Amino acid sequence: MKSVIKTLSEKLRSGQITSVELTEKYIEAIKRVNPVINAYVHETFEEARRDAEYADRLIKEGKGTPLTGIPFTLKDNIATDGELTTCCSKILEGFRPYYDATVWKKLKEQGAVLLGKTNMDEFAMGSTSETSVYGAPLNPRNTARVTGGSSGGVAAAVCADIAAYGLGSDTGGSIRQPASFCGIVGFKPTYGAVSRYGLIAYGSSLDQIGPMTHSVTDAALVYDAIKGEDCADQTSAPVHMGPTALNGDVRGIKIGVAKEFFDGINPQIKGAIDAAIEQYKNAGAEVVEVSIPALKLALPVYYIIACAEASSNLGRYDGIRYGYRAANYSSVDDMITKTRTEGFGREVKKRIMLGTYVLSSGYFDAYYKKACLIRKRVESQLAECFEKCDVLFAPTAPVTAFPLGYSGGNALETYLSDVCTVPVNIAGLPAIALPCGKDKDGLPIGMQIIGKKFDDERVLDIAYFAEKSKLCELEDVEGGVRL
Amino acid sequence: MAISEKEIKTLARLARLEFSEEETKKFVPEFEEIINFADSINQQVEGDTASIREVTTRIATWDELREDEVKPSLPSEKITSNVHSDNGYFAVRRVVK
Repeated sequence: MKSVIKTLSEKLRSGQITSVELTEKYIEAIKRVNPVINAYVHETFEEARRDAEYADRLIKEGKGTPLTGIPFTLKDNIATDGELTTCCSKILEGFRPYYDATVWKKLKEQGAVLLGKTNMDEFAMGSTSETSVYGAPLNPRNTARVTGGSSGGVAAAVCADIAAYGLGSDTGGSIRQPASFCGIVGFKPTYGAVSRYGLIAYGSSLDQIGPMTHSVTDAALVYDAIKGEDCADQTSAPVHMGPTALNGDVRGIKIGVAKEFFDGINPQIKGAIDAAIEQYKNAGAEVVEVSIPALKLALPVYYIIACAEASSNLGRYDGIRYGYRAANYSSVDDMITKTRTEGFGREVKKRIMLGTYVLSSGYFDAYYKKACLIRKRVESQLAECFEKCDVLFAPTAPVTAFPLGYSGGNALETYLSDVCTVPVNIAGLPAIALPCGKDKDGLPIGMQIIGKKFDDERVLDIAYFAEKSKLCELEDVEGGVRL
Repeated sequence: MAISEKEIKTLARLARLEFSEEETKKFVPEFEEIINFADSINQQVEGDTASIREVTTRIATWDELREDEVKPSLPSEKITSNVHSDNGYFAVRRVVK
């Protein structure tokens, strides 16, 4: 792992390259690589060129930050004023928001350069990015495999270095799982640490924006740039606003290992994580065994709560307030039904139907209420764990990247692959996914470091040990910028 | 748990979605699979949920109110730039005769 942002930032500041030149290099690389991996769905090259000129001025005036002038990408569900934001869905075809998401506003002010919007599962519903109306992005490490999802386009773009970094969103693992499938770093901050204003809602009590990067250092730099309270997001919270200190000193820290996280996972993945833990131990960390009996329930609880919230959130797509509207209809009610039937894809319809079911009278008590109850149980069991340890180590996913097309015939199995990531969203915790090895097919294996609420900086610092000690170095994928 | 085609149709109507006969037939087993999975929580938690009143999932616990100030709003022509509109209003087919 190496810090691409630091490298580029030094080159920009020392005048070895201008942001305008760097941006052209990225644009050229996107034109070359994107037709193969389908990471970008909307290019914003004109915006990027304007951003780059502004960045060069900031640098010249000595007002640059580590992110000034560096080209990046946003997932296609983060609002960009005047630029297409479609959630990779037909129902938002042609939709151009009229305001900027807070995260984009913050980055823009610092002179970040937006290259485009990246591919994702339709409305972030999926674990492979294959439900995108634009077709699936391909994993740059093996184009017969999926990128993971739902932030698969960001993961592919960063992995191939046709973006220096990106922002994804994570409702049940959508930053961490694709980061692991593509062998990059993905950080899901504590719920509330980063504003969600301008993130198109899926499961509002679970959704969180976070960085997807080449390294832990980069994740910390991007997190520092986007974090903080925002009056436009009622759930956002005050956090420490200084830079995150990365020392990677793990002496005396307590690593919790819960066996429930390792049930039924691929032995090669378990082996890689055990080996990583061993390295932390050699550097002075202590390992504590903990137990989270309710962990298995987190997955059905997640699907109930996320789908319930989605069925409500997606009620707004009625053909009146957003772009797409069915052409033929007999009444307003018929127009709404036809617009939704034509505009939503299969997986989205399935989740809306499930959400409608668990919220409907007669089933509300048995599903939604019970799920909320168990959610609290999962939360309190995780909180109890953190009385005994500082962080939890776990796999990111029980498998490595699926072959393309696999999830189509194995819907439930694909849902089950979220088992290690959803508990974190259920409890609103921070967690980072980082590469820790490869399986026998050469596919990256990811591990997760999970912290207690608002312990984001500590999670990043403990993850930084892996970067500093070169715990896992994956080779670069060719074709991208690679300066 | 078995789900009937009739139930699927009722749900679809509630969600303002339509499924053809063929789609409904295909959808039933898929939906049953996921409902049965969701149902696994019912095997784990004993019956009584009637006593639970608080079902909000709000995680935020900070409750500071901001000053109530008048600020500029989004211009209506910008908001309606994406939609079927008429003079800055959302336009739909006539509802009242």
